[in-house]
Formats: sequence, structure tokens, C-alpha cells
Amino acid sequence: MKVMTSVLCGILMLGLCLTGAAIAKDTIVVGTSADYPPYEYTDDKGEFVGFDMELIRAIGEKMGKKIKIVDMGFDTLIAGLQNEKIDAVIAAMQASEERKQKVDFSIIYHEIKDAILARADSGIELASVYDMAGYKVAAQTGAIQEKWIQENLIDTGKLPAENYFSYERVDNAAMDVKAGRVDVLLIIADPATALAEKNDLKIALITRETVSAGQSIAVTKGNTELLDAINKAIEALKADGTMQALMDKYKLL
Amino acid sequence: MLQFLLPGLGVTVSVTLIALGLGGCIGAMMAVFRVYGNPVVKCLAVSYSVVVRAVPVVVIIFILFFVISAFIDLSPFMSGAIALGFASGAYQTEIFRGAILSVPRGQMTAARGIGMSRAKAIRCIILPQAFRVAIPSLINEVTLVLKDSSLVFVIGVPELMRRAQYASASTMEPLLAFGTAACFYILLTLTLSKLLEAVEKRFAIQF
Repeated sequence: MKVMTSVLCGILMLGLCLTGAAIAKDTIVVGTSADYPPYEYTDDKGEFVGFDMELIRAIGEKMGKKIKIVDMGFDTLIAGLQNEKIDAVIAAMQASEERKQKVDFSIIYHEIKDAILARADSGIELASVYDMAGYKVAAQTGAIQEKWIQENLIDTGKLPAENYFSYERVDNAAMDVKAGRVDVLLIIADPATALAEKNDLKIALITRETVSAGQSIAVTKGNTELLDAINKAIEALKADGTMQALMDKYKLL
Repeated sequence: MLQFLLPGLGVTVSVTLIALGLGGCIGAMMAVFRVYGNPVVKCLAVSYSVVVRAVPVVVIIFILFFVISAFIDLSPFMSGAIALGFASGAYQTEIFRGAILSVPRGQMTAARGIGMSRAKAIRCIILPQAFRVAIPSLINEVTLVLKDSSLVFVIGVPELMRRAQYASASTMEPLLAFGTAACFYILLTLTLSKLLEAVEKRFAIQF
């Protein structure tokens, strides 16, 4: 895997050297990874829908530009920006330090919260995130939530390492909570509602304590013109209530 | 579920067919180079098949999409199909090489003996026999390319596998979504291999 990653990085660097200047145009090509409801997914006609999708179309409207949405793998999005295959990325992406070195991020358009899910009939009541330590805890592999659990519960000795379970996909984790193999699942709050409904779970706690950033739109490094326009549009949408209306529509918390 | 997956079916089939066609052309050419070429083209063909088979298909897709298409304007669909064809070509080189070597040496000697040029002997005597020998191994390659075609989603081609991920995400029924996709892959594999088997029967050498 390591070898593969370094090979990939090498190729991408090479690609970076070879790209030409961006051409001014009236269509903004926006990359996303359409498998993450309620932020971005497809309806049964194959149209891209979700909070991020409607938001980026509203941003385009404010800027007076057309928006073309292309779907790529989440891992490919940053590379796509670096190679100017796409102009911007909106994919519930958080501006981590690692990503900031490769691309530029807009202001935060959506503050996120985390949720803790438990079985509806489990009787688990949590007053704070630290109460999780008494149960078998699940989170998504590589996610910010996993990092928080590692640093604040496992490294401090509150949660025995063998009581932490790391899942590749959150829907698998939710199914295991339902099956009783783990007790609680710490994930980002917005998708948690639908996941809870689907698997007869309840949201035991909603918290901001485990969250360090919000979601931002990414653009190619150095494309300040587009970034400024996007930032202005986000501000305007927050001010005129469109943002709140979209959040309500998709039941974001 | 079907309305999610059906549009991807066409994409998967066309990516696979383009890749197989391209791979077949490259493979046949490189195999001839390897067996009959002068040292220079032989070396070229050997390095192609060794290097490309050593590199993961995903990496080839990335190279074509991000590096090559900086110069040539290629859609993600074409980049993906060509990359798969390029990768499959390396495997087909080996298939065709084995097939060419299986044609008895006497065939070449006899063709030259009745005054055919080397090129004509290869084209009219060796290759038609070699293709027939190659078909069973090609059926295997067809199924591999069909499944590898799921890799092109990384550059944004919405084929069957990506559609299944969409469906899994929006309906929260991963088992149903991927199960349906699996059924489609089985159907496609069966259809394509039956087709090739029919071709094999039709052109079988009668002894």
C-alpha cells in the first residue's frame, strides 16, 4: 500500500508539472463523490441531489456562472483539483492541515456536529462523550471521530483498546450496533438520523466536543479569484436565509 | 434498484468492449513483434508486457487521465477505456505469443517454401491458426477485463459498480445494491464467454 501510495504521488506530481494554465470560462466544473447522503447522492434518475449539490448550484447562481457537477472517487478529488480537471470540490470535505497543503479552502459553509448512536431498546443514556468509555465503541476507519477516540479515550486509558471497533463503512458499523456486537457508534450527526431510522437505533447524544472543523469548498491552490467569489456567495447565502432553508430541507443539525 | 443500475450496464459493456478491442490489437501486434521481430521491436514488446503487467491497472488509469490527457483532450470515459485496453494488451500479448508458438514451425517453413513472404506467411498462415488456439484463454481475459472495468469509476465514469455505490448510499440497502450488481456481472460474463465459445466452435479447425 505504501509503495502504491508513493507511486501514485509521483505520478500526480508529474501530472502537476505538466498542467497548463486554467482557461477563463463561464462554467465551473465541480467535483464531488456522490455516495454520501444527505450531503451528496443521486436520486433514482441519476441526478445529483443533496445539501452540497443544492448549495453549490445556489452559489453558482449568486456568481452568475453555470455549475457542472462531476462525480469522482473521494480520494481522486484533490488530485483532480491539482491537475485542474475540476475547478472546485464540494464533498462534505473538512479543511484538514494535510489537505490545506495541497489545495485552498473556502470559509466553512456548514458546521458539523457528531452523534452517538445506540440501539433504541438498549437503555444507554449518555451525559457526555466520555460516558462512551463504559461501552464497546465503534467509529469509521480513518475518520476524524476515530482519531478523537484514540487520543481522548484510548490513549488516556479510559477505554480499553480491545473495546474499540473500527469499521470501513458506517452502514456496516450501524448494522453491528443493531446486531449487538458493539454498543455505541460515534459518527458525524447529519447522516446519523437516516442511519438510525434504518437500523432501529437512537441518537443517544449530539455533541460538538469531538469536532475540530467544519465543511469547506476546495479550489486549486492559488485560484484566489474563484475562492473569493465562492466565499462571497457563501456569505450572501448565509445572510439571505438560503443556507438555513437548505439545512432544514435536508434535516441537517 | 434497477433504475439505478441499468444506465451503468451500457457504460460497463462499452468500456469493456473498447478495452478488449484495443487490447486485442495491441496484443496481437506485440505478440508478433515478440516472436518474429528484430531485436529492437522484440525488446520493446518484452518491456511493454513486463512493465504494464507489473503496474496496477488503477495506476495506468491515473497516468492516462492525469498525465497524458494534459496534452490530448480525452474524456474520462475514453481515458478509462484506453487505459484498460492498454493494460489488457499486455496480458493478451502473452496469450497470443503462446498461441503463435503453438503453431508448428513446419507451417512457417512450408509457407516460405511455396514462395510467401515472411509478412504474408504470418498474416495468412500463422495468425489465423494462432487466433483459434488463443480463444479459450481470451475468454478468461474477457472476464478479467469486465471486472477490471469497475476501476474506471475512480476518474468519474459512472459504470455498474459506481451506480451500485450510488444505490447503496441513497437506499441504504448495500446487500441488495451490490448483490444486483453481482448478478449483472455474472450475466455479462456468461453472455460474453458463450459468445466467444460460439466463435470458437464456428471457426474450429476440422481434422
